[in-house]
Order: sequence, then C-alpha cells, then structure tokens
Amino acid sequence: MTRRQPLADEMSHRDALTADYLREMYRLMLLGRRFTERALELAAEQRLPVGMHPSAGQEAVGVGACFRLRPGDWVLPSLRTTEAFWTRGVTVLQMFNAIMGNAGSVNAGKESFHHSGYPDLGILAGSAIVGAQIPQAVGVAWAIKMKRIDNVAVCFFGDGAAGRGDFHEGLNLASLLKVPVVFVCENNLYFQTVPAAVGQPIEDIADRAASYAMPGQVVDGQDVLAVYDAVQTAVARARAGEGPTLLECKTYRFLGHYPSMLRDDRPPEEIAHWTKRDPISILGRHLEELGHQDGAAVEAVEAAIAKELDDSLRECEATPFADAKQAFTNVYGEPIEAMGL
Amino acid sequence: MREIELRAAIREGLAQEMRRDETVCLVGEDIARYGGILGVTEGMLEEFGPERVVDMPISEAGFAGMAVGAALMGLRPVIEMQFTGLLTVAMDPLVNTGAKARYVHDGAMSVPMVVRSPHMMHGNAYMSQALEAWFAHIPGFKVVTPSTPADAKGLIVASIRDPDPVLFVEHEDLYATIGPVPEELFTAPFGEACVRREGVDVTVVAWLAAVPAADAAAGELAAQGISVEVIDPRTLVPFDSEAVLRSVRKTGRLVIVHEAVRRGGFGGEIAAMVAGSDVVSKLKAPIERVANPGVSVPHAKHLNRAVLPDKDDVIAAVKRTLGS
Ligand SMILES: Cc1ncc(C[n+]2csc(CCOP(=O)(O)OP(=O)(O)O)c2C)c(N)n1
Ligand SMILES: [Mg+2]
Repeated sequence: MTRRQPLADEMSHRDALTADYLREMYRLMLLGRRFTERALELAAEQRLPVGMHPSAGQEAVGVGACFRLRPGDWVLPSLRTTEAFWTRGVTVLQMFNAIMGNAGSVNAGKESFHHSGYPDLGILAGSAIVGAQIPQAVGVAWAIKMKRIDNVAVCFFGDGAAGRGDFHEGLNLASLLKVPVVFVCENNLYFQTVPAAVGQPIEDIADRAASYAMPGQVVDGQDVLAVYDAVQTAVARARAGEGPTLLECKTYRFLGHYPSMLRDDRPPEEIAHWTKRDPISILGRHLEELGHQDGAAVEAVEAAIAKELDDSLRECEATPFADAKQAFTNVYGEPIEAMGL
Repeated sequence: MREIELRAAIREGLAQEMRRDETVCLVGEDIARYGGILGVTEGMLEEFGPERVVDMPISEAGFAGMAVGAALMGLRPVIEMQFTGLLTVAMDPLVNTGAKARYVHDGAMSVPMVVRSPHMMHGNAYMSQALEAWFAHIPGFKVVTPSTPADAKGLIVASIRDPDPVLFVEHEDLYATIGPVPEELFTAPFGEACVRREGVDVTVVAWLAAVPAADAAAGELAAQGISVEVIDPRTLVPFDSEAVLRSVRKTGRLVIVHEAVRRGGFGGEIAAMVAGSDVVSKLKAPIERVANPGVSVPHAKHLNRAVLPDKDDVIAAVKRTLGS
C-alpha cells in the first residue's frame, strides 16, 4: 500500500521538476481515473452505500495544486477534488473504506468520501453546501497568520460556487485581512445541469479577483504543469505574507454530475472536444517527448495501480460495515443521552 | 378517478395555476432546462417560457430575497430550494424579510411566496434535514406538509393563492406515490387534518413520509388486534388541534411520528397542546414521540436506516402506550 509522502525539497517551478516528480504526477492522475472507474462499477452494481461525484477529466487540478504542499498546509476540497486526497497522502484502502462506509473508514460512513476530512494529512471535511468552504478557508488562513507560521490554505470550489455570496464575502475578507489562502476554482463549465454561462454574466471568474484587489489568473486546468506553476506562484506569495490569489482552472468533467443523474444534456460535440484534452494523455505525451516514460513504463504504472486497487478493494470487502451504533456518536463531545432531553 | 404520482400532482397544480394566474413564476436551481433535479418542474420551461421559469445560479440567499421583493410587488414566486438543508443558506431573507414584511408594514404589504422544500432524507448530514419546526417557529410563515398526491395538488395551489409566505414541504420518498387526483384545478384547505385510518386504541399523528410508515404499522397492528387511528395534519401552521383532541379523547393514547429531530421538533408542540387541554385527563399512557433521536443524518445507507424512524419504531411506540 502506498501513501504519498510530502516532498522534502524546496519549492520550485516546473522546469525544476525531476523526471521522478513528473512520473509521480502522472501516476496520481491515473490512479484518480482508475479509482473513479472502479467506484462507478460498484455504483452500477448497486454496491455503493454512499454517493460520489466523479472527477474524471479534472484530475490535473487537484494533483497540480497539492503536489508540493507542505505538512501544516490545509486543503479544503470541493465535492470533486478527489485527487487532492491521493496527493495529500490518503491511501486507496482509506478511500475504498470511506466509499463503503466501513468500520475502518475515516468517519464510519457518516459522510461521503468526497466530504471526508483527514486532519492528520491537512485535509478538512468539506460541507455539502457548495461554496461553504470559501469563507472557512479564509478563517483557516487567518489562524495560520495569527500563529505566525508560513503555511497556507488551498481552497477548491466549482464555477457554481462562485455564484454564492460566500465566494464574494470570502474573497473580500481574504483580501482585507491579507491572509495566506489560494482560491482554486475548478471551472468545469457546468453547475450540476446548468451551463456556467447561465449562472454568470462574465466569461472568466478570474476577473472577479480585481474587485477584491488580488491577482486573478486563468489557468489551463487540463495541463497539470500549468496548474502546478500557477499554484506555486500563488503559494509563494501567500507564504511571503502578500495575501490571497484567485486561480481559475478551466476544465471539464468527462462524466455526469453524479452516477444516478436522470440525464446528461451536454452537447456530444462539446464532450468530444474536451475528452481530446485529457489531462492524463497531455502529461503522458509530454513525458514521452522528454523520453521520461515509454509505453512499457505506462503499462507498468497501470499494472501497479490495478494491483493496488484490487488488493485494497479485497481488503475493504473483508471489512465489515460500520456498526449502526456509530451513527449516534460524536454529535457532541459527550453522548447524546447527556443532553437531558 | 384518474391516478397519478405525487410528483406529477404538484407539477399539475403548478401548471394549472400558472395558466390561470400569470403572476405565478418559478425560480430555482436546475428547474428550467433540466426540469428540476428531482423532476418536479419538467416541461414547465417549454410551456411557460424563460421569463416565468427561471434557472438560478447557486445563490439561494440571493434568489430567496429576490422572491420576497417580487412578492411584495405582487408577483407570486414559487421558489425551489432543491434540498431542505439549503434552506439554512437562505434563512435571513426568508425569516427576516419574508416572514416579517406584513407585520412591519402593519398589513399594508404582504409576501405571497411559496418555498418548495424537498426533504431528501437519504442524502447527507447537510441536505437531509427536516426543518419544518424551524419555520413553524417563525411568526409569519405557514407550513404545509402533504403526503398524498391529491393533497399535494390541492395544497400547492392553496399555497400559491395564500397571501403569506408558505413553506411547502415535499418528500423525495413520496414523489412516486400514486393516488387519485381530480383533473380540474382545486384547492385543499389549510388547517384541516385528515384521518387516514380510523381506530379506537391508539392515535398516531404523522406527516410526510411518516404517514405511510404509520399506516404500515397500523396495518400490521390491526392483524394483532390493535386498532390504530392515523391522523395526517396536512398543514402544521395552521394546525388542526381539534382533530387530534377528538381522536385522543376517544383512544386515550397518543404517538407522534416525524423524521425531524425530536428535541425542538413539532411533535413536542402537539404533545404540549394535548397535555395542556382537558383531554389530558383521558390519557391512559404517556405520550410517545418517534423521531430522530438527535443526530445529524448519516450518509451510508446502513447508518441512515438506523437514525430515521420507520414502521417498526412506530409499532414499538404504539405497544409501549398499551403497556405491551
Ligand atoms: C448551496 C448549494 N446549493 C445547491 C446545492 C446542490 N448542488 C450540489 S452540487 C451543485 C453544483 C455545483 O457546481 P460547481 O460548484 O460548479 O461544482 P461541480 O459540480 O461542477 O464540480 C449543486 C447546485 C448545494 N450542494 N449547495
Ligand atoms: Mg462546475
């Protein structure tokens, strides 16, 4: 079982990434894709006791943004930032246990895997209220600033979340307090069933940064190295005490909003256009051009991932469901019976 | 009579009233192009056009406040709050501006808006909340909780026509319930409970998805010789106290069932109403409440089942009132 460890060396941009690092990015994205596929198979067999939001197509954002975060940094994922979990060090077994609501899972089935928190890995549980994590991330960053440490908060959210008052209030506060937070918008052009253009009168959400006097940048969300570079710059700025940044990663979800949606009304040409911009193939081609990875190497990575998924799923299936009694714990620090009524 | 699903009954009520009254408009997320994430507003965009059926950005607080303003100007907006947990995001405009406008204008203005709030209880801690008691607690809000297709149609129309803000609670588990529904446009009255099943031993008061659970329990208990009367209040504000008192006067035993958390739940209000009436002397057993015991609704199915009240919990509570 592999658990990704934080990198020991100093921050650097893409040119300084070694071949090993590039291959690691590739593996993390591919792991995300194959995990999603497995989970969807389980969903189709009605074996998933929990819901999920497939991240397929958007893997570059979570991997690129979290790749070089440090211990002590905090990540607040969106409903779709599955790759933040791998990249911060969550294991495949942990994810399967979470997705099954197993006894050994991080929250005993109380919440879905995508809203699970792993405090020891610097991941806060997300709320199902879209965008709620934005002001919360400002608070996390404010606390970091108060503690006079050079950590950062990285907050992910969708284009839909940018319609919330929480987005506007959060960015305003972050700028006023000059706190170390990086806002990473995963603009996948839809919020649930509605095209982003119906929800916002502007093309680029990054433009909104101007209202809050912070840098705003549109990033190619299918290019993991572009995401990586943009986040490196924003993180450096945050660590240096210069305040927040808004990054808008243009991306696309290859699959439906969630597995049991009634329909997917997105135009087939649009889906076809974007599936040609698969973040995994884009990095794969780059690696090949650099001579860092050939077909045989890709097969080996695939095989290793398949084995890890098989082994973890087997172990997960041998684990019992969380005891229903756990549904009644951790409402308060004391048992609910102590509340008198 | 023709039989249709509860989901279609709400849609039909909305559509017929929109044909009759062009000030009625629909506002919410995914409601126009997609027809609603739970399919209630399917076909409405096609019939009524994009001015009256409007897809919203993810801005619950914004469009709830917008609906209050529009209602003050005489439109009759029906907003969809996708899942009940999302009400929490819009509490300020609903509770402060919406519910108080009539009062602070001393009757010179009113807010004829409807908030459609679908309970989706098998979701997660955030969305799967049953918050009807919150709104019952707010002076100015009416609270409607239909459990049959006919009531859903009659009550959605009555809610639209009502001059005050109405929380119209729907329940995902009931959308596919089939039942007879008149084809013509009609309203069902507020504040009139319905006796779903007559009985003499124990009164069970239930609303929304607790009604079929109570009914199933009553069916099983009947086979054991226990006669249960099931009362569905249909609206919590206004509440038909007399119907409950009449029944408890007869049975002397009361069980209240709801999916909302027990502490602060509307069941407590009903129990207090009965305890504060002359019927209290007729009680042969302590009043029982079957409800969520006070936890957030968990996500995984097996935990979810353990938290939400079901038929077996109702049977056990009825038996406790009988000392068996
Ligand atoms: C405040 C709020 N309103 C509505 C919903 C229902 N909902 C769940 S996901 C979603 C769309 C989110 O879109 P976006 O932020 O773009 O993220 P994406 O799903 O595209 O990754 C909606 C409307 C919600 N969870 N929270
Ligand atoms: Mg989106």
